Amino acid sequence: MILSDLLGSEVVDAAGERIGGVVDARFALDGPPGQLLAVPRLVGVLVSPRSRTSMWGYERTDVHAPWPIAHYLRYVHRGLYLAAWADIARIDEGLVVLREGYERHDPRLRTASQGS
Amino acid sequence: MSERMAQPAGRVIDAQLHLLDRQILDRDGVPVSVVADVELAGIEPGRAIEPDAAPPTITDLLVGMELPTRIFGGRPPSSRRMRIPWKLVADVGTVLRLGVTGDRIDATWVERWVGRRVVGRIPGGRHDPE
Repeated sequence: MILSDLLGSEVVDAAGERIGGVVDARFALDGPPGQLLAVPRLVGVLVSPRSRTSMWGYERTDVHAPWPIAHYLRYVHRGLYLAAWADIARIDEGLVVLREGYERHDPRLRTASQGS
Repeated sequence: MSERMAQPAGRVIDAQLHLLDRQILDRDGVPVSVVADVELAGIEPGRAIEPDAAPPTITDLLVGMELPTRIFGGRPPSSRRMRIPWKLVADVGTVLRLGVTGDRIDATWVERWVGRRVVGRIPGGRHDPE
């Protein structure tokens, strides 16, 4: 599968109700060590209930500058959350199905160094 | 919304934000290509995912003709994709840096072909300017 098949996919819950769209896929560089960098493993997908455009990284930190852009993106993507890989039940063409009882995780990173 | 999930130990990247459309430079800083898409291993479309399934991983960066299909739809067959294996990537920053020289990877065959067949046939095209 390629990433663009996943981006923009509709996200539904176990009952089939639409709960958003995939705006990005989050990876951690902590997989098996490679020759130069570790293999990135999927942590989860960022799901926005209202938009499928990128949030330009504003969801990763508490940065609020420049204010008009940050404010606009936070408004457009209000309710954005991180759905963990363990909560994904099925991925199909243009569709991601979450498990029953899935959790909506805060998409912010714990430390700034993780995103540098 | 629940609390932040247990954070991974390593660096965290968002694929669209950090990878797509980024320039790729080789070990010497020479431009190689642009990331048009990313190939993932470990996802079988339509098949149920076991709760303890291993997470998908990035195997290759795709370059070349992936960009038009991202814009206009459709897709080239998998065999026609030009791949740069992730194991060659040395750093992810404002650009992606490879740990090898660009002329050693298949993705630059068009440049080599043009250099040999077109530029090389122009008088003076096979050596540096004097």
